[in-house]
Amino acid sequence: MSFWSLMMADLKSIVTDKAIAITLFGGVLFYSVLYPLPYLNEVPTKQQIVVIDGDHTSLSRQLIRHADASPKLDVVGQLTTIDQAQQWVASGKAHGFMVIPENFRRDLIRQKGVTLAYGGDANYFLIYSAVVEGLMSVGIDAGKYVQFNGLLARGSSAKQVKHDLDPIKLNSVPAFNPSLGYTPYVVPGVLLLVLHQTLLIGAGILGAGQWGRAGYWQQASPLELILARVTVFALIYSFFTCFYVGFCNYWYGVSVQAELAQVLLFLVPFILCTAVAGVAFSCLFTRRDLPTQVLLLISMPILFVSGFIWPLELIPSPLVWLGQIVPAVSTIQGMLQLNQMGASWPSVVHFWWQLWGLALVYFMLAFIGVRYRLKAQ
Amino acid sequence: MKQLIKRELHALWHDPWQLALVSYIPLVGIFGLWWLFSAGLPRQLPVAIVDQDQSQISRMLVRQLTASSVITPIHYQDINSAKASMEKAETYAMVVLPFQLNRDLLTGHQPSIDIRYNSQYLLVGKLLSSQIQLSLADGLKSKALIKQLAAGVPMAQAEVNLNLVKTQISALYNANSNYVVFLLPPVLIALGQLLAMLVFANSLNRELRLNTLQEWFALGTRRVLWAKILVYTPLIVLQGRLILTLLYQYLGLPLAGEFGQLLLAQIVMLLAVWLLVLTIFFLLQDSARVVSFCTALFAPAFPFMGITFPTQDMPQLAQWWRLLMPSSHYIDTHVGVVSYGQSFATFTQQVVSYWAYLLLIPVIVFLARRVKRMTNSITVQPSGSEAS
Repeated sequence: MSFWSLMMADLKSIVTDKAIAITLFGGVLFYSVLYPLPYLNEVPTKQQIVVIDGDHTSLSRQLIRHADASPKLDVVGQLTTIDQAQQWVASGKAHGFMVIPENFRRDLIRQKGVTLAYGGDANYFLIYSAVVEGLMSVGIDAGKYVQFNGLLARGSSAKQVKHDLDPIKLNSVPAFNPSLGYTPYVVPGVLLLVLHQTLLIGAGILGAGQWGRAGYWQQASPLELILARVTVFALIYSFFTCFYVGFCNYWYGVSVQAELAQVLLFLVPFILCTAVAGVAFSCLFTRRDLPTQVLLLISMPILFVSGFIWPLELIPSPLVWLGQIVPAVSTIQGMLQLNQMGASWPSVVHFWWQLWGLALVYFMLAFIGVRYRLKAQ
Repeated sequence: MKQLIKRELHALWHDPWQLALVSYIPLVGIFGLWWLFSAGLPRQLPVAIVDQDQSQISRMLVRQLTASSVITPIHYQDINSAKASMEKAETYAMVVLPFQLNRDLLTGHQPSIDIRYNSQYLLVGKLLSSQIQLSLADGLKSKALIKQLAAGVPMAQAEVNLNLVKTQISALYNANSNYVVFLLPPVLIALGQLLAMLVFANSLNRELRLNTLQEWFALGTRRVLWAKILVYTPLIVLQGRLILTLLYQYLGLPLAGEFGQLLLAQIVMLLAVWLLVLTIFFLLQDSARVVSFCTALFAPAFPFMGITFPTQDMPQLAQWWRLLMPSSHYIDTHVGVVSYGQSFATFTQQVVSYWAYLLLIPVIVFLARRVKRMTNSITVQPSGSEAS
């Protein structure tokens, strides 16, 4: 059996096997829509809060209006006690509250300190941070407003007053993901993981369905079979990867910084390594429904070990080492640095070499595995 | 019925993978994920410092940053190397203390301290941004205090002047913003749901694989199904109970309500999972495809729970998809019980939200009858073959 016909036979069994075709073509398309779907609005806005106004003065009302005007907040009601506010939070009608103390305006004008109290539902960190950030800026503005007027009244010039209130400017700017959006945060990593997982599943089901049965795969040597299979999967996944890294990143507004040639160069060992790993992985199974299950269970851990959701510094090092054997982990780290954070090629090249090294190891494992499986029949 | 349950237990015992799914895999999974997040609070994250001023005040500000538990300052000589370290994710933020910072402050100019934080790693970046600003603002306040004192303001008044509006911030239900409290429960619930789905799908698929579908129908479709439910529901609830024990008893995370409600809610969630798996099983009738399809459906359950990204800010389509996932119904109850100590009345309302799953029952009956007819008509040939 020639190499070419072996490849064609592999391709045919991939495309005609419904379980594999659904996973590969259906899964890749489906997940490119489904995973980013919840995050399309990027940032949480208009979080409902309630206000407990103990002051009822022009200033406290102004504060409430400012809170309502903040893009992060939406004042949905005014209550009288903190207990009521907690009930609103517990019933989901509000996610945070602000307490304006009695004599708020009077104390401020008399230059006595006042305390504004904020509470937010910390079950949802994104909501909580939106509520607190929104209220903090509103509160600081209110204080500044009073100080500004007070200092003006005492005869300082407006320019001088502004300077006195802000002697130093803290210019804090997000880098790499300027909108602080959730899609650019999650999508580039998760899509690479989807490629990795679907490829492994596809190769796994294909192998598991063939070992121990008669077919074209027996007419080839282990080396030929591995090379043909890796070539076929690599070719299919070149298209998928182009679709994900090229189109989806663009479509979801992910910031892309690397040069095209470098991205292509980086992804070559990723695709090859994952394809070889897929063939090696398939030798572990003879039941077609198992590869999917194993990969499903390890996909969340792989995502977390990649270190863009929970920082690597905080993950116990044995888990980080264990993650190094997964092609997706070094790929996600390398691609994020190269493509999203604009790192230079030399600073990510160790990921690249690691992928080649993994490819070599998995190739040897695949050879041992396939030889065993073909002999066993 | 006893015999049918025995049949299920026998099947479970003779399927090593299935046995693994109900025994050590959940243990390893739960322990592994907990270990991953066990740090709980982000601490000592590396931050690049470029001190171009090298003055007393710039060093004081760096000491302020060092004092923060979240920040570990790492000095860089120039901005380019600091930038490179950020691009390599060796540092997650960068603070530039500009040349003549001290001089500008003394001569009444307004210097500006540049902070850049890695928002590609959103969680870390946002945290560092707020912590760096807090630390620096605090350091600068002590300078401003001296200035006020020098201008003749009495100490008590000077302190008030600096903090005219103080703020008191309460993180409700998670007082120190611990990530174990925030992230671990939904992650483990997502894992539990995946395990439940796999276990049930495997149990059904086994009938296909060993070609015992006919035996099943002969024994009574419903009775065998009940036996499966009676065997696997307690086993999975046991895993759920293990998760709860780890979180709220061993780790001692705050728990306002009672376990009873949570376990009941888990049973309801599992019944919903069973209905979904049954529908897919009777629809596809091929073990690999059943698993693939269930996987496609259940794998993205975690982002749709609405814990990491709030439900109300999802697009409408995502909110509908969310309702398809039993875990998103359950998580509402979970948060309600754990944080708000919700009443039983609220729980009943939440259970009612599962009503749409009941619509699956007639579909399952219809599909099952079709499968039964097909199985009976091709008695000799193996049904649900593994062939592609």
